[in-house]
Amino acid sequence: MGKQMTEMLKGTLEGIVLASLSGRPAYGYEITSWLRDQGFADIAEGTVYALLIRLEQKLLVDVEKVPSEKGPPRKVYTLNAEGLEYLDEFWRTWGFLADRLAHLHQGGK
Amino acid sequence: MAWKWIELFTGSLDQKKRYRRYKARIDALPEPYGTAASAFQRYFMYYGGIVDGETSLSMLGDFADLWERAAADATPVRAIVGDDPVEFAEAFAQAYTGKRWIDKERERLIVAIDRAAGGQE
Repeated sequence: MGKQMTEMLKGTLEGIVLASLSGRPAYGYEITSWLRDQGFADIAEGTVYALLIRLEQKLLVDVEKVPSEKGPPRKVYTLNAEGLEYLDEFWRTWGFLADRLAHLHQGGK
Repeated sequence: MAWKWIELFTGSLDQKKRYRRYKARIDALPEPYGTAASAFQRYFMYYGGIVDGETSLSMLGDFADLWERAAADATPVRAIVGDDPVEFAEAFAQAYTGKRWIDKERERLIVAIDRAAGGQE
């Protein structure tokens, strides 16, 4: 992943991960592979894991531990009301930024 | 090397026990996960800045979960940490909002600038 791409992703990844949870609850690996399918090919599982922990600390997701056949229980993340509100705001902010940047790109006309 | 960690937990016997349990989970990881996890743990000691034991313990617990999961699924180490292990380590540590030694200085800076700016209003 290019350096610029990494930097830009850093600011938007919370929204991206929340968006990936808006359809249905999921655990870390499911979210990572979904993001890879969506074209974020180089995203590391640990990055998503760290981010999910941050979302959990900010109380934007609910967490349930589900036993798995091998290894430790999987943590399943569900978007809660605060998370949904945060996501709405993320999309509004994104819309604003995308609009302003497109405007700049066209030479400020 | 471990003294800094241990020092964090001198307050409570229960926390000491929990620390030992997490340490044992990291030590029990198969290779190459054990080596990778230990390398991060070492880095956390230096980078950390998390002062309270409770936060450190919850971080260690989550960290052990991550590597046990990776070992169980045989996920390649690189797929977990990405191209930049430093970036990953710091993002991981920052997710824990425990009290940091810098917090006091941050407060001080905010108050000092409030005062300085206040004179102009």
